Amino acid sequence: MLQAIALTKYYASIPAVQNLTFDLKAGQILGCLGPNGSGKSTTVKMITGLLEPSRGRVLFRGEDIRRDLVGFRKNLGYVPEEPNLYPYLSGREYLEMVGILRGIPQSRLGKKVDSLLALLSLHPSRHSAIASYSKGMRQRVLLIAALLDDPEVLILDEPLSGLDVSSAMVLKNLIRALGQQGKAIFYCSHVLEVVERVCSHLLILRQGTVLASGPTGDIQKRIGHASLEGTFHHLVEDVDPDKVTREILDIIRAA
Amino acid sequence: MIRRTSLVAKWEAHVREPFPLLVRLSMNRIFHGTNGGEEEGLTISMGLLLALLAIPGGFVSIFLFDKYGSFLQWLRGQTNFDPLAAALPDEYFFIVLSMVVTGGIAVWWWDSIFPDRRDFTNLAHLPIPASRIFLANSVAILILTYVCAIDVNAASSILFPVIVGASQPKFSFMAQFAGVHALVVVLASIFSFFAVFATAGLLMLLLPYPLFRRISFYVRTLIATVLLATLSTSFAIPRMIRDLPRTSHSPLRFLPSAWFLGLCQLLRGRADRALAELGHVAMVALLSACAVAAAAYTLAYRRCFVRLSELADTPPGNLGTRTSWIFHLLDRLIFRTPFQRAGYRFVLKTLFRNEAHALALGGFLSLGVVFASQTLLSALNGKGISPLPTANELSIPLILGYCLLLGVRFVFDFPAYLQANWIFRFLLDGNIIYESIALARRVMLCFVAPWILLVAVPTYVYFWGWTIGFLHIGVLTLWLWLLTEVLLVDFHKLPFACAYPSFQPSAVVAMIAFVLGYFAFTAMTADLEAKALVSPGVGGVFLVISLGVWYTVYGIRRSVVGIDNHLMFEDAPARHFEFLHLSDDG
Repeated sequence: MLQAIALTKYYASIPAVQNLTFDLKAGQILGCLGPNGSGKSTTVKMITGLLEPSRGRVLFRGEDIRRDLVGFRKNLGYVPEEPNLYPYLSGREYLEMVGILRGIPQSRLGKKVDSLLALLSLHPSRHSAIASYSKGMRQRVLLIAALLDDPEVLILDEPLSGLDVSSAMVLKNLIRALGQQGKAIFYCSHVLEVVERVCSHLLILRQGTVLASGPTGDIQKRIGHASLEGTFHHLVEDVDPDKVTREILDIIRAA
Repeated sequence: MIRRTSLVAKWEAHVREPFPLLVRLSMNRIFHGTNGGEEEGLTISMGLLLALLAIPGGFVSIFLFDKYGSFLQWLRGQTNFDPLAAALPDEYFFIVLSMVVTGGIAVWWWDSIFPDRRDFTNLAHLPIPASRIFLANSVAILILTYVCAIDVNAASSILFPVIVGASQPKFSFMAQFAGVHALVVVLASIFSFFAVFATAGLLMLLLPYPLFRRISFYVRTLIATVLLATLSTSFAIPRMIRDLPRTSHSPLRFLPSAWFLGLCQLLRGRADRALAELGHVAMVALLSACAVAAAAYTLAYRRCFVRLSELADTPPGNLGTRTSWIFHLLDRLIFRTPFQRAGYRFVLKTLFRNEAHALALGGFLSLGVVFASQTLLSALNGKGISPLPTANELSIPLILGYCLLLGVRFVFDFPAYLQANWIFRFLLDGNIIYESIALARRVMLCFVAPWILLVAVPTYVYFWGWTIGFLHIGVLTLWLWLLTEVLLVDFHKLPFACAYPSFQPSAVVAMIAFVLGYFAFTAMTADLEAKALVSPGVGGVFLVISLGVWYTVYGIRRSVVGIDNHLMFEDAPARHFEFLHLSDDG
């Protein structure tokens, strides 16, 4: 459903992403992993159409998304990394605004918003300004905004950030259920356990290039680690966590 | 009733359409600023802002009753009173006022005129064409420009013509006068807004984005200073306007406020050739400002908003490591306790790295520089240096000190990044109110001390000798210290860390107090000091006033701090009314 072909992005001649290719099919949940600065956010921005690639293309149902961005975005639900919402709007006002801008008929919108707010435990504070919301509450508002118009493609950038345990459990189940319903989901996260449990496929990035991609089980088998943490560490080899831990303890204890 | 209800329903349905929704969103952003009233925590309601903007025009108009009242003219023996000729300087003042206030608003909204990162995050991934966001923002800018232009000039457009035309027998005179006045001041406002807007757009277009962000603060401060300097021309320019036909290379031809005065006289049919020329320049300038603003905005929008996710968010200023020797010096000399040392570093860095705070302080400093230079000009005014300094000459450092101290105290109340103030709540035991006052006092005095030592002392000693020089510096230091104490009388906060600015509920009163305080602190003190230099016995008055002020401040602080000696992080507005519960059953 969503294809990235040789995506490349340079920021002032510094490559952020190079020759990134993947194919996200309907019903797949593709987990995107990588250390800080590996190009995850740039990838997300390119596949949502927020950032123009220096080279390469993103195809939605075989068509370049740049040809009809508005049409593509009608089918896209997006949860950005930062819950940067308008603080002077209430949660309900924000969702109504998103619904109206998405062209959802008013008759359906109010009911839908209220039901989702109630299910995600935001109903009591629906009329409070977003400025007073906690990070988890803002994240839930963003999730509702992304799901409001029943999109075909969901792009989630750290969607569990700040969520409490029960909301996180609901979301994990929801992502799996949406995948089963045929939605294509691109899931970006640092939390390896969640990616391991939720994602059917993996895309591991380092310094803007793909280190590994394919079904989660296949990658683990290929690397020879039972856990995703071991696989990730084997591939990325960014730092030696034991050594860094020892050094930090030494500095803290120093007089 | 049914018709009204259906109209309301239609209106409600209309404002929930996508485009009006986007317009409202843009208006909110421009009004609340790019931080959306969240990080800065400073929220001024639209009503309060409109009231504050309308006040100057109303006030000045009321003061003009004295000039135009027919009974008072009769008492003064003014029989051949030409209201149109007499109104010329006042008309010029209203034109300048409208330009300064509207230009000031544009400077304040500088960052929020263009859609920001938040808009990009929330809107760019939705199925709305970018052109529609652009159009909505343009409509929002136009609406807010016209609302501000009309609000700033509303009071003067009604009161001024009524005052000028009240003694005239024909109503048509008043109506005509009102029409021309309203049109010219509103056009002057629009010109001023779009001129600032065009400057922002051009800079954004021509400079690399990080450089634009870095120099924005300096450009804004410069524009604010130019606007204030224009305000100070209102006393001299009307006289020069009368000589305009005789001077072919007058600098007035380059002054936008003079162009609009020319337009006013042209519309009234009282313009000579030179003024008529200026009137035509006004129209050309207005159209050019609008056209340049529109073109720059369109191109800058394409360049910046569409590529917003690529552009680095560069902070506006950076103290860097080169200034660390200043901190070490201040540690040794002034800030002795760990709290004070940590506190003043936080205060200075917040002040200079935060554009809104730096801009507000820059505004107060510009005000001081403009007032001081005006006083200096009228003090010199073709005369040489007299053996004893005049009141005007003595008042200059007082003016600068007053504006600077008030500016620093004012910005202390501006919250900054309130989400980050948990660290102070966590680390400070709260019971350090005196330390907090000492910190604020020392920081405030640090802002004025260098000027006193490096500029005021050498200047006064050079021109009037050691005795007068040191006597004046003594009075100046004492007065600035007392002013600092007065300004900190109920200070219960760590600068920038409290959610609620204390001036917010009484902004109008605070503004009036600022003006009255200015005259008391600068003009009255300098007058008294000049008299004391002639007859030293008057100097005793200083001692009495100083002791009185110090005793009052000390008493108030003891009672206030005695009741509550905790630092406040979430001050609340005073209630407008309270239930007294006088009976048992409430």
